[in-house]
Amino acid sequence: MGREKVAEEALNLLRSRLCDPSFVFKPLSNSPDSNYSKLKFIISSSVTEACNNSILLLGPRGSGKIAVLELVLKDLLEEYPDMISVIRLSGLLHSDDNCAFKEIARQLCVEHHLLFSKMASFDDNSQFMIAMLRECGLAHKTVVFVLDEFDLFAQGKQRVLYSLLDAMQSVTSQAVVIGVSCRLVCSLLNYKITTECEAVLSWDSDEFNENKLEVLTIDVICRLCFLDADQLLEKRVRSRFSHRKLLFLPPSKGDLQRLLEHILSLPIDSTLPHDYAVEFNAKLQNLSINVSVLIVFMFRSLSNLLLIDHDTRFRAVSYMDLGSGLLSLENFITALSTMERQPKLECIKEYKSIHDAFQTSDYYARNVCFRAFEHLLQRELICFTDNRGHNQSVEFRPVKLLISSHELHQGLKSYRSCPVSCSWKTCYCVHPSMTISSAKGFFFYPYG
Amino acid sequence: MGKEESPQVTRRTTRSSSSSTAANNAVEATKACDSHPLTINDLVFGQEPISLDDVLSGFPGRRVQILELVRLLGPANSPMLPLFIYGGASTGKTSIILQIFRHLNRPFVYSSCRMCYSPRILFESILNQLFLHRKNITNGYSSIKRCERPSDFVNFLREALTSVINNLNDNSGTSKTKRAVARTDGNMIYLIFDNLELVRVWDKSSTILPFLFNLHDVLKMPELCLIFVSNSSPDTYYSNMGYMEPIPVHFPDYTEDDLRQLFMRSQTNQKLYSSFLDVVLRPFCRITRRVDELSTAFAALFEKYCEPLGDLEVVPNEQIKRRLFSQLQPHIAASMNEVFKVSSQPSPEGESNKEIKQKGSKRKSGSCEEIDELDFHMSASAKYLLISAFLASRNPATLDASLFDSMGGFDGRKRKRKPSQKSLDHKEAAEQELLMKGPGTFPLERLLAIFQCIASVGEGTIDEEEQGNEGSGVKSGDGGLMSDVLLQLSSLCNANFIIKGGSCPLEGSTRYRSTVSEDMILKTIKTVMWKLLVTWPSTEKILWRKSAKKKIFNAIRRKQEDEVRAEQHYRLRIKRNYNNIEDQMGKIACLQPQHDGGIRPKKKKEGNNGRRHFSELQGRWAR
Repeated sequence: MGREKVAEEALNLLRSRLCDPSFVFKPLSNSPDSNYSKLKFIISSSVTEACNNSILLLGPRGSGKIAVLELVLKDLLEEYPDMISVIRLSGLLHSDDNCAFKEIARQLCVEHHLLFSKMASFDDNSQFMIAMLRECGLAHKTVVFVLDEFDLFAQGKQRVLYSLLDAMQSVTSQAVVIGVSCRLVCSLLNYKITTECEAVLSWDSDEFNENKLEVLTIDVICRLCFLDADQLLEKRVRSRFSHRKLLFLPPSKGDLQRLLEHILSLPIDSTLPHDYAVEFNAKLQNLSINVSVLIVFMFRSLSNLLLIDHDTRFRAVSYMDLGSGLLSLENFITALSTMERQPKLECIKEYKSIHDAFQTSDYYARNVCFRAFEHLLQRELICFTDNRGHNQSVEFRPVKLLISSHELHQGLKSYRSCPVSCSWKTCYCVHPSMTISSAKGFFFYPYG
Repeated sequence: MGKEESPQVTRRTTRSSSSSTAANNAVEATKACDSHPLTINDLVFGQEPISLDDVLSGFPGRRVQILELVRLLGPANSPMLPLFIYGGASTGKTSIILQIFRHLNRPFVYSSCRMCYSPRILFESILNQLFLHRKNITNGYSSIKRCERPSDFVNFLREALTSVINNLNDNSGTSKTKRAVARTDGNMIYLIFDNLELVRVWDKSSTILPFLFNLHDVLKMPELCLIFVSNSSPDTYYSNMGYMEPIPVHFPDYTEDDLRQLFMRSQTNQKLYSSFLDVVLRPFCRITRRVDELSTAFAALFEKYCEPLGDLEVVPNEQIKRRLFSQLQPHIAASMNEVFKVSSQPSPEGESNKEIKQKGSKRKSGSCEEIDELDFHMSASAKYLLISAFLASRNPATLDASLFDSMGGFDGRKRKRKPSQKSLDHKEAAEQELLMKGPGTFPLERLLAIFQCIASVGEGTIDEEEQGNEGSGVKSGDGGLMSDVLLQLSSLCNANFIIKGGSCPLEGSTRYRSTVSEDMILKTIKTVMWKLLVTWPSTEKILWRKSAKKKIFNAIRRKQEDEVRAEQHYRLRIKRNYNNIEDQMGKIACLQPQHDGGIRPKKKKEGNNGRRHFSELQGRWAR
């Protein structure tokens, strides 16, 4: 009974750790050449030497850009109290100019205990911001602007970026603009990706089959854009930008293992009973080699992202057996297996039932086809090729298949009560584009 | 709640009770006492918590998913990452997550993107619930905060959440000492977004979806947990922005055994129902495995099944079973086709398709019943117009002359006497293409030209009904007919029988497209031209197939030839009138050309005149 309570407490601790990104990235900040120290040096120099600065933090999602930045800011706020004020904007929320200035003014007001007027116009707000920057500069107070999702600010006229960076051209102001973006330069990562791919190929050809490779390439393409975030800037903005960039790369294998231990091991000197913590950690030591090998090869090489094995660990921890209170290898393996989902195969499986309906000898009425067609649409196995053609009736609008023939075959295979005729029929269905009437043709004609 | 009812009802009750929870138990609260201010306790499910075993037994076939969800939600006060629950329609996603919260007795905010159909409504409904605000007459049914933009929403949400969480902390601090029964467990607050797949349609600029997925990171509050419930798998949510993927939980469709358990749950006479299921479940499972569709179908079928039995409590033996089966068998196939006809849920697609589908369903019901008459009234000229629109839509414009001219058809036939294999193939391909692409578009002039050809034939044979049309439309000259027909056309467009297509880029005039099915057009033809088309073969012939088409128009032509002379006489008269008017108009405005291309004195022979006749008609309408 007592044991269970302790285990629950430990579970809570681990869960809160996993959910807190700044805890996850703490151990990486110790080494002198880490991004943490570089970033801290840049910001603190601009605080102490009263100069303006601008930096861009680049890295794939989940590589800890914001987490490291938050760590730096927290330390600096402790180090130089009353000398730094932080304005946080997110491209998701404030990509609209009007919104952004309003939010800047609001946060400045909150920071300096002023009264914020909701009715202030765009001009008022921007003038207020420039005036505040000047005042802060005179008072030797640094304003740090954090622009999350920086690339979204670069849409449209970029007035926010321009006025921020332009205000920083004057000697009186004292501000740091930190852009955070996950749009990366392809060339920089190209090398890394190719090595990853090779690693995957050489690792195990059985385990990483064709399907996974597809996922891999899609993953890579999804996460890399072909334009660097600062290439998006207008000329007038770019000329005012310092072009200082910090690249956040996903941690290496050794780092990952260290991180894993750091996150999952229980503190010895806490409210948890001493012997339980020791036992837990010892078990973990044994495990971690296996587990990390598993995780590292499954996920680090696949998408090279912390976020995925982040998920895995989360699941694993939640699978933790409250009875024994210890993590076991099985926990991890179950977690991994649940993580592996085959995109869309589940749907196909279900969906064969509908296909079958057409392929059996029963003749189904026309509206059955329509309904089945709607089901397919709903499952997003097919979609209309263009959304504009609403004036056509449904039966004549062109649709396209959203799955590959390979996936279809897999789905058919895994559906147990699938008639034999299905398998040869699939070749029909892989036409890149068809209309429902032609699809009906495929269903009906061979059976007359 | 709802455990002993049929699954369909369970679903609905959970929906409705959830929505009343969403409205902070509005119904119950208003009944009990209107002045009662909402407290933090109203954020929990609102009914007595149930044990985990009850949840498990309430949803057969869902054990794995329920246990996984409970495990992921974790013990009280443990933070967590966003969750993503997905699975097909009616697999119990929403009801299970709500029942789990009933079991856990933790505060949550439920908002369905189907009820809250725009970002603003979604944001405001969440804020209303969090601020414990209730819309009533004193505040004019307004929301507590007006917020449209995600940026405002984040500020308000942060404010609301901090107050709620403080409240929860106080609550859990005091209630444990004061009251034995704590109304809420833990200090976590959960936001549930149901029907997330609809959000993809909302935002054309695609900001809301990444915003919702990143909300957890933006807020950085460990006490907040987001749960997304969606129809479609996470693969369909990729945007070019990327996001931290929430933890996926999949609800697969029910298997046949699960379905059997589900349906058996609510029955009084288990034996009888299981023998019924033996018969129907397998064939129906091949078509659909959606519980809501199946339960509506089964309800009707089961009644039929029980009909021969006087006593519903009877335990069936082999003989009765066989008898019942033979009784039921003819109904099964019919009912299987019915399954798809009535959608028990609103259509999954966007509103844009709705009107088309309505039309489709009307057509379906029409074609199913095999009635020879249309079930609504249309004027004769509207019917003619509809027919001509259909013909114009299904036939290429090049065939018009040979079809509708009195003489033009003959040379066409001569040419077709020796078709080569190649041309046959070509024709077949063209027909196939026509089948694929559906009805084509046509300009207004062509429609009117065909209309006049058909109507002029019809006039002679159909008497009193047409008399009015003849009198008002044709004899009073072009102007009257034109406006009348155009009115009819616009009403047909409104009824969605004819659709205005995009305008042709070269000509700049609007093009039309008919959407009616063959069945309906056959019926229309029967009502209008039944005298005219006695020779026309059975209704099974497809009108736009060439053979059938020829037959119709041979019939038409025969009648036409009789009329030709009279008509031409009459046309000459009209032309004269027309020219007179035109001359006067030209004198006044000098805008219109003096002569129409087709208007010239008739000197040529009938045969030659045939083709020009049609183009002349078309030319005249083009003005």
